[in-house]
Amino acid sequence: MSRLPEQRERDEALAHGLVIRPPVYRLDARAFVCSQLLDVNRDGLDEDVTVVADGNFLGVVAASPEQARRAAERLRPRWSTPAGNHRGNTPAPASDRLQRNYDWPGRLGWGVEPDWVIADCNNGAVRVDGPVADTERLRRELACLLETDPARIHLDGHGEAGLGRQGSDDAAADAALLAHAVGRPVAVRLDPDPYALDAQALARARRLRVSGTPDGGDFQVDDDLGYVSVPPLALWLTGRLTDGLLRDPDAAALQYTFVQESFLDEVAAALGEDPVALRLRHIKDPRGRQLLQSVANQAGWNRPAANDGRADLVRGRGVAYSHRPSESGDAGSGTRSAWIADVEVNTVTGGVRLSRLVAGQDAGADGPLRPLLDSHPLRAALEQKLLGLPDTAPPADQWGGTDDRRLPATRGASPPAPRRTAGPLAEGEDVDLSPAVAVVANALYDATGVRFRSPPFSPARVRASLQARRDRGKRRWWWAGALAVTGLLATLWPWRASLAPVSRPATNLYSAETIERGRLVAEAGDCAVCHTAEEGLTNVGGRPFETPFGTLYSTNLTPDPDTGIGNWSYAAFERAMREGISRDGRHLYPAFPYTDFAKLSDADMQALYAYLMAQPAVAAPAPDNDLRFPFNVRSMMAGWNTLFHRDRTFQPDPARSPQWNRGAYLFEGAGHCGACHTPRNLFGAEKTGEARLAGALVDGWEAPALTADSRAPVAWTEESLFQYLRTGRSDFHGVAGGPMAPVVAGLAELPESDVRAIAHYVATQMDAPASATEAQQRQARERLAASAEPVGQEAGQRVFDGACASCHADGAAASFTGARQSLALNTNLHSERPDNVIQSILGGVHVEGVAGGGEMPAFSHSLSNRQVSDLVHYLRARFAPGETPWKDVGRTVAEIRTEHNQQP
Amino acid sequence: MPATNSDRPEGRELRLTVNGEDRRLDVAPSTPLLYVLRNDLSLNGPKFGCGLGECGACMVLVDGRAARACVLPAAAVEGHQVTTLEGLADGDRLDPVQQAFIDEQGAQCGYCLNGMIMSVRALLNARPAPSRDELVEALDHNLCRCGTHQEILAAACRAAGLGGEGDA
Repeated sequence: MSRLPEQRERDEALAHGLVIRPPVYRLDARAFVCSQLLDVNRDGLDEDVTVVADGNFLGVVAASPEQARRAAERLRPRWSTPAGNHRGNTPAPASDRLQRNYDWPGRLGWGVEPDWVIADCNNGAVRVDGPVADTERLRRELACLLETDPARIHLDGHGEAGLGRQGSDDAAADAALLAHAVGRPVAVRLDPDPYALDAQALARARRLRVSGTPDGGDFQVDDDLGYVSVPPLALWLTGRLTDGLLRDPDAAALQYTFVQESFLDEVAAALGEDPVALRLRHIKDPRGRQLLQSVANQAGWNRPAANDGRADLVRGRGVAYSHRPSESGDAGSGTRSAWIADVEVNTVTGGVRLSRLVAGQDAGADGPLRPLLDSHPLRAALEQKLLGLPDTAPPADQWGGTDDRRLPATRGASPPAPRRTAGPLAEGEDVDLSPAVAVVANALYDATGVRFRSPPFSPARVRASLQARRDRGKRRWWWAGALAVTGLLATLWPWRASLAPVSRPATNLYSAETIERGRLVAEAGDCAVCHTAEEGLTNVGGRPFETPFGTLYSTNLTPDPDTGIGNWSYAAFERAMREGISRDGRHLYPAFPYTDFAKLSDADMQALYAYLMAQPAVAAPAPDNDLRFPFNVRSMMAGWNTLFHRDRTFQPDPARSPQWNRGAYLFEGAGHCGACHTPRNLFGAEKTGEARLAGALVDGWEAPALTADSRAPVAWTEESLFQYLRTGRSDFHGVAGGPMAPVVAGLAELPESDVRAIAHYVATQMDAPASATEAQQRQARERLAASAEPVGQEAGQRVFDGACASCHADGAAASFTGARQSLALNTNLHSERPDNVIQSILGGVHVEGVAGGGEMPAFSHSLSNRQVSDLVHYLRARFAPGETPWKDVGRTVAEIRTEHNQQP
Repeated sequence: MPATNSDRPEGRELRLTVNGEDRRLDVAPSTPLLYVLRNDLSLNGPKFGCGLGECGACMVLVDGRAARACVLPAAAVEGHQVTTLEGLADGDRLDPVQQAFIDEQGAQCGYCLNGMIMSVRALLNARPAPSRDELVEALDHNLCRCGTHQEILAAACRAAGLGGEGDA
């Protein structure tokens, strides 16, 4: 995961490598197109950073990942622009033959999860450790790259071969080349950047054009001579690739079976013929026919898969058959395989589960007939490599896997998955994997009606395909224009239709995966924070919101049919979330941030609906809003929406990294961070331009600026933002309190990668560096040195010594309950307004649900307004001596105390 | 204290280690540790004083460091070792700090003594041979309303090996 293997963490010889790919590089079926490295400017690099340039391969090796990253940013390589090398399309043979194109990518995915690949070089021998499959092929490739003997390459990987290659092969080659160049062990991080980009660059490795007669006869494959197996990129970039490395009969059989069996399945669908019957008609070999018939009987081919009525699951069944000739080429010999798979597709998450696999194999004269193989390891391999593997960088609305949800402290606590080698998947016998990819593709078609003409079938791709199909069904180009005009009119029209009530969906309508995804969306969106009253039940509503226009109350979000959203259809829910229109057609007020929720992806929206509908229903009417005229006229919001609301899902910025886009999606969409951190205009709409994220006062608390204008005494960094969001505390800034505390508690439910993505996005908004620099450490030291006992603040000092110093004294750091950060670093004491300081003193700091979060008692009952006021002046003078004293502190204390007293 | 909204069940089981024993408790995670110790575990060594972390009467040791149990949510000490006054002695053998307070008769009403003893113990854990000034600083935020400061300081100095008179 994100940590190095334990035994390497203290390995001082271990260096960290980072590769820099050319601006243009791709495999265009027959040719590798690549920018040429002209020169590298090494000025300004630290002395102990090594630059490795070899052909068009470029990398840096440094003592830490951080140093390597900085060096890579400073390196200014010059690249040539490659000449366009667009191969002309082979003219299609014009005929009445049925034709289909299938693609086989050079990489099935970049990797299962971020990990480290470590290469050690020792007297010319190379050892590679990490999620790398130990294969003869990779050993030969690395030997070719390092110009050594394959016997001197040792792969200690725990990865798995078979089915297709992954980005770990590229990372292994990068690490080996860098380690070889610097003569030290080098760790390279297997991350979407660059390895998902590599997967994209190699995506068009092979295109197979297939044709046959309309009933599937006379099957021909017109191979474009693309690459059957694509060696690691380092070989292409250094120019050391030799032709001898390109043959791969196993991969060729797999690819050939994929196109043949997919094609036959398409023929069967076009003819409306049963796919097994069609194959039985085509297979000439009697033993093959017998095997397929037997597997079909075992699998109960003619009995449809049982449906348990879940709205988000579709099921399907597929078949694939292959006959791989033996080396002798004798008729009647070779390995026949017949596989039948049942899949379960989650239409919301795109997740595919292989619910059943029946596989048989007949090795003919060379081996026994095995009409039933142990399908368990096969299923595991298929699920991992074909269905679970992200082929490209994750899309912005991709929720992390469960593995990623552990905090760094618990990392590595779970035992590693049992190692499985590329050898026999079934006990005692080699299993021919040829039908594996086709059988899943055919089952997916049966389930969804979408034909996948290239692997892998990752959740993101499956979801995108299903969405594209739904969109095609919905829209026609010729009335897209009309739709836009209607949309505008509909927005302006002040009265909106009521959507028919439905009976509450059954709690088991959605699968556990969908509901879990919805739970994460709800946590990221902090639904419960606004929709739960003080001491009230979760999501039952009734929490008051003071606005300049009057008091609003949040509503009941539980699926109670009368007082909650139990009779809301999905369409009604989506309209409320995206357009701010209640089911009954009334306009909602933008205190409910539908302006942000509109950015949610369809999948997340559906999952959120599924989650909310699966919660216990509680009958509780919301109190009536208390708004002044004319703001109580809801239809006014039609005009507001026209002016200030854009109903548009999040559009990722292709020029930015996947992490940035993921962070932006969470921050701007579900997270609705701007709702608090952006000031609002006279109409209560978030300001734009310079004022965006400039900080605002919400619920009596100041939400500080998230821009370069932040008033934090020590500048924020991406790392400190992450620490703050993940743990509720930052060493340089203090703890999360007030309305931010439940936000941190919600984020604690999210995978670490998501919280990192938010921190990354916020850091770019603040122009913050990645991690603390020497300048920031110095800033912190200066702040600490500057704080001194002020003169003329004796009253405040007495309050501080009595009430605060037991935890906030500088010497108290050793106590378990002592504050871990000096108040001299506290952002609130350096702000323009004292509100957050007063709030914290009167109400305390409570970060429930986050281990190790801040905890401070409330002093509203033990300190008078005068004492609080004296204390606040003292704190400002002592810990923020460079700032001007606050004005009107006494009045603010009195106001905030009134709010506290009103709360139950 | 204001309730924050949370999907987590209020009464999930807490697992604490107190005086070396594993204890499982069905209490809200935000319950102050002091209440759990006194009410649920009948450990009345730590006292309720101010409830705001100001006076020190409630002090316990968490992983050997001083902690004010009235301001500490019980959930915050899961996975840590909690030691109360009851857990200081080794069987019948009192902790040297306890013995020093008896020897110097460092008590009047005795309400603050739990915190005084725990503070000195925590300091000695961190610094086995502190100076008198360090002892004074460590006890600065342990309040005594009887005015027994001289005796308490003498006991602290004896415990720290600075002689019984507190003037070393």
